[in-house]
Amino acid sequence: MTPKEALASPWLTVRVQIALGLLFVAAALPKLVDPPSFAHMIYNYRLVPGALVNLMALVMPWLELLAGLALILGIWTRASAGIVGALLLVFLAAISLNLARGNAIDCGCFDVASANRTVDERLSDMRLDVLRDLGMALMVAQILRTKGRGPAPSPA
Amino acid sequence: MNLRRHLLEAATLFLLAILCALVANALASRERKLALVGSYPDALKVPGAEATAPAPLASAGGATPSSKLPFEEKHPGPAAGSAPKATEPPRGSEARNFSFSPGDLLKRFPPHNKPYVEISGDDAAWLVAHGALVLDARRTKDYVAGHIAGARSFPVWESDIDARVTALVGEGRDGAIPVVLYCSGGDCEDSHMLAQKLYGAGFNDLLVYRDGWPDWVRRGGKSATGPES
Repeated sequence: MTPKEALASPWLTVRVQIALGLLFVAAALPKLVDPPSFAHMIYNYRLVPGALVNLMALVMPWLELLAGLALILGIWTRASAGIVGALLLVFLAAISLNLARGNAIDCGCFDVASANRTVDERLSDMRLDVLRDLGMALMVAQILRTKGRGPAPSPA
Repeated sequence: MNLRRHLLEAATLFLLAILCALVANALASRERKLALVGSYPDALKVPGAEATAPAPLASAGGATPSSKLPFEEKHPGPAAGSAPKATEPPRGSEARNFSFSPGDLLKRFPPHNKPYVEISGDDAAWLVAHGALVLDARRTKDYVAGHIAGARSFPVWESDIDARVTALVGEGRDGAIPVVLYCSGGDCEDSHMLAQKLYGAGFNDLLVYRDGWPDWVRRGGKSATGPES
């Protein structure tokens, strides 16, 4: 089996799906438990108009949870992987923009409690968050690429 | 055809997420609930000194702070950009040895016609000792865990904050009397945000205790625990 075939194998895809789904379910739970704290995190990014902060804080965790569960259960895999991919692009853009303007914030990705950290520590964590999100985006790409293929052609 | 089906599935997940969010928010407790449309002024954006206080909110009782006292006539504010400075400030531990004296408060901290002016811990201790109204902008759970003695809870990130502000206006307080606001110090902006809301409601002498609760604990100020009585 070539590395290309190994990367596209159903065995790997199922495991990537479950891992990504678990990550998104884990990310959703703290936000569902404490929506005001998550709203605060979104506000800190300084990217969303005040009027939309609460709506985002309410809907986004449910979207993460439902898409994560769908990935774990193997239901509507392409659609849920697409949603997860879109969310990751939003997260990547938001963190990168704030990194570029030097606005040190807590990510609010897997925890919504404000940590008492220095600006340098926060900026360093934001760089790691970008790398982590890129890694998850690769997982999404693997799922979409594999699931996007039609049935294997039958040998003539 | 496949793409259309996947888009339909994605749209269904999205609509389901909205539905779950609305139901969960409707069933949530007061501390976890959010108003659907948020109202969050830019906490650190302070209009210039030439800006005038916005019109006060209509209060439940019809009285408004500004209707009780023409600020500019009786208590002209300090020069533009000058923050009030306390001299010989008492430490927090001697709090509550004084009775409430609006005259003393106004003499030292006259209305400044800005959404807020930041004050130090010494100034905050002096104001608390002289009976100034103190508002805690942190979350309810933080307030319950510990707060400045006598402070009232005004958690800006909880759903009933606008109702609390309206109720405060409805008490018919004099908007020119100094009000101290605090949160968690450091880069916490909750007290600044609360000040913006109160300024919009007609309060005109809002003083943000910049270093907030951690500083109050450090200086041994009088504190209390438990929910608001």
